[in-house]
Amino acid sequence: MVVLLLLAVSMLTFVAMNILGDPLFNILGPIAGDTENPESVAKIEAAKAQYYLDKPLPERYVRWLGDFVQGDMGVRFASDGQPPVTGLIKERLPRSLLLMGMAQVMALAIAIPWGVFTAARANKPADKLSTVSSFFLVSMPNFALAVILYYIFALKLGWFPLRYDASDGFFTRMWQLFLPALTLALPGAAVYQRLLRTDLITTLQEDFILMARAKGVSKRRVLFRHALRPSMFSVITVFGINAGALVGGALVVETFFGIPGIGTAVVEAILREDFPVVLAIVMIIATGFVILNFLVDLLYSVLDPRVRS
Amino acid sequence: MSQDVSTDGVLEAAEPEAAQVGVEKKTLGLGFWLSVGWIALIVSLALFAPWLPLKDPDANFIDIQGKGRPPYGPSGDFWLGSDQDARDMLSRTIYGARVSLVVGFSAVAFGFIVGGTIGLISGFVRGTFDKITSFIMLVLLSFPALILAILITSLMERGLWTIALTLGILSVAPVGRLARSASLVFAEREFVMAARTMGAKPSHIMLRELLPNVLIPMSALALLGTAVAIVAEGGLAFLGLSVEKGSTWGKLILTGAQTRQLEEAPWIAFVPITALFLTVMALNFAGDRLRDYFDVRELSL
Amino acid sequence: MNGSRVLLDVSDYSVGFRTESGLAQVVDKVSFTLERGKTLGIVGESGSGKSVLNRSFMGLISSNRQIEEGSALFDGEQLVGRDRQDFWGKRIGMIFQDPMTSLNPVMRIGRQIFEPLKQHLNMDKAQATGRAIELLTQVGIPEPERRLKQYPHELSGGMRQRVMIAIALAGEPELLIADEPTTALDVTVQKYILDLLADLQTDIGMAIVLITHDLGVARGRTDDIMVMYGGRVMELAPSEELFSSMSHPYTEALFSAIPRVDQPKHTRLTPIAGAPPDPVDPPPGCRFSPRCVYAQDDCLTSLPQVDPAAEHQFACFYPVNTEQGRDARGLNAERGHTATGLKIQSVAVH
Repeated sequence: MVVLLLLAVSMLTFVAMNILGDPLFNILGPIAGDTENPESVAKIEAAKAQYYLDKPLPERYVRWLGDFVQGDMGVRFASDGQPPVTGLIKERLPRSLLLMGMAQVMALAIAIPWGVFTAARANKPADKLSTVSSFFLVSMPNFALAVILYYIFALKLGWFPLRYDASDGFFTRMWQLFLPALTLALPGAAVYQRLLRTDLITTLQEDFILMARAKGVSKRRVLFRHALRPSMFSVITVFGINAGALVGGALVVETFFGIPGIGTAVVEAILREDFPVVLAIVMIIATGFVILNFLVDLLYSVLDPRVRS
Repeated sequence: MSQDVSTDGVLEAAEPEAAQVGVEKKTLGLGFWLSVGWIALIVSLALFAPWLPLKDPDANFIDIQGKGRPPYGPSGDFWLGSDQDARDMLSRTIYGARVSLVVGFSAVAFGFIVGGTIGLISGFVRGTFDKITSFIMLVLLSFPALILAILITSLMERGLWTIALTLGILSVAPVGRLARSASLVFAEREFVMAARTMGAKPSHIMLRELLPNVLIPMSALALLGTAVAIVAEGGLAFLGLSVEKGSTWGKLILTGAQTRQLEEAPWIAFVPITALFLTVMALNFAGDRLRDYFDVRELSL
Repeated sequence: MNGSRVLLDVSDYSVGFRTESGLAQVVDKVSFTLERGKTLGIVGESGSGKSVLNRSFMGLISSNRQIEEGSALFDGEQLVGRDRQDFWGKRIGMIFQDPMTSLNPVMRIGRQIFEPLKQHLNMDKAQATGRAIELLTQVGIPEPERRLKQYPHELSGGMRQRVMIAIALAGEPELLIADEPTTALDVTVQKYILDLLADLQTDIGMAIVLITHDLGVARGRTDDIMVMYGGRVMELAPSEELFSSMSHPYTEALFSAIPRVDQPKHTRLTPIAGAPPDPVDPPPGCRFSPRCVYAQDDCLTSLPQVDPAAEHQFACFYPVNTEQGRDARGLNAERGHTATGLKIQSVAVH
């Protein structure tokens, strides 16, 4: 089923790019139409051979698929001297993963204490205030949030650097990624927090919580050791779904903060109609989703032993 | 959604039934009407913009009344300030609303009509049709939305209606899935089975029995969907991929977000940001309240 | 009564809740005592206030709408008005009705037992493991080492209830409150659990408060029984005396409603017509009067009080085994209805 899905995704992208664009033009530029100049014609022939452009569409797809599965993601269109697709991905993917990873970790790190805090004080003023601010965060589009955070923390307060520089050391780069990651994390945190709060409140009504208290377990311990684990399911579910929004958000954030990741790579590639790159990245993202959902299922069974049997 | 629950001091026993007299009064509330008010305001401003006494949004009013080089801060001449080319922010924001709102509403409309219909039919008819459409929707859903949007927009000319269409196509899958599950739920209900046994034609059943019921939860979500569409357009614009002519909120924010502009004249970015934020928040809030009011929870995801 | 043997001394204990429709007096001036090593059974229907009494007494209800009044002395210390957290698990243990929902489903049994051991008795892991195995053995669970690693859903209902008892005992409490411990269990398992509680009491010497709606469960397993209705004490007496010479019409009605082996076959059971009183707006006189076959006019207007000094207390103007009672009953039968309008069909004499 999953394989079918991935195949369908790749087919759709492949067809879309080939039908609606002109590969020859993209590779060679204006000389693509020049059939008179012998030099141009030679280049055209070479390109056709290299990219199998003479063959019918289905055959081209199958060839691409074969290469891709073996790890050869092809060569980029346009100028020589540019690294092949695999190289591009190798260079940019870790960066984006680091960014998104940081964002999710931050989101959970913010959301869990926040959720517990508000659940324990349900319907009290602190909780109501939190609901309002949570709502604000969710309503703020990520690019707007990026601008606001940048303005306050990088521009005015100067806590963070203004640009990302790939040549800096590892920890410097982590710091540079902090603000972009935070931009991605905050709306997610607000969503997680609300879900966690709801689930916690429900769990706290359960008998075993009462029993735990009657045993003499302290409030804090009951919250974190007894109530939290059974309440994480909604969060975990959304965690998986959120990955999609995260990628979209990463696109925006990478562009604004000037981080060369696969988000920016795919935007550039689409605009240039450089479809090996587009294909490769889309496939990677789709595969990533699948793996992530699989991990989420795994996580369910770890959290709730009843699922295991 | 506040229950009359006591978790104060953490985790003591809930009060016995004798004491729990908290009946949920279902009203839409003040916040709802405030949100609706704002939406109405923005929509009216956008609609009637050409007839309002606004400055030309694209005209440059450099050195008006001897002010020197732009950008100009908020003042009597420029209520919300001007941008770096001395264009009036107030009118640009209002004109920007036109595009943003049109794109948002029409994308949702498209999504609801197409997605809703497909979903409704799938949920009722089931079988091969359902399997095929579900698979297609799943494929569409597997694309991160923004990438799909970029993909489609890059392959066409970027005009108002193509962008709207793109976002519409994007919303077909989520809406379709929702319509399908609502349709599934209602198709099992007795009144549909009754109609079936009385020999009513499937199209009749879908139109007369299912549709009104499915429409209720969906309309509650229409507002939320519009918010998402507007934000999506904003995102595209921010990446430089929205409509080529004219301004939208996203484009305005992009203009204002350059480091130089932010330093000298933050209002260039913050005016459209505020407008966008308030509108999205109003739509979200109103949509949320409607959803609570109609109690749509059981159908989400 | 010997003062130092009295573990619980409750007098005029009341619990009310402020609601939108008024004050709900859920527990109304309840008084009783309990000696160490003895068992008190509290019997009543749902809505009688027995659960609220118990939880409020433990201090488990912390709503700011609650009003707690009166006195509840535990080993001489006043509980009302103070935070009872330091008693939980250590001096007072509690077991609940449904063992499936009372145990944390995602936590292993072992850990749930270790918690009170580590917290109240300061045991380390090794000691706790040993003690946990002892406890599980004591409550009659086979293969205790294996059980430690299991989850609640892997055990049967009866075993889960035993685990709950083991957990409640872990802190070595002086008092165990058992809130409907057998209601969620099969009848055969019920007997084992009740026997277990009795054995444990003999071994450990702790006092037990056994709360149930089933008079039959309380019989033979309690030293004293307190019958509650509408938040008030209807009757309080040593168990056997309650059964051999019950005084309150409500007790009599409860008794008639349970099937008993010694009755002839096809004996008609008489359910108690009517419903429990509204705690916000109770009947002005005796709470039970709308459903009582003995009810007379003064039952409507005055509230019968118990005599706290008596060993067999009851709150009734027309007790069952007295002349007034019999006359009242006869009068109602003649005229076909009670003073509260309850229709009398046949005179069922037991």
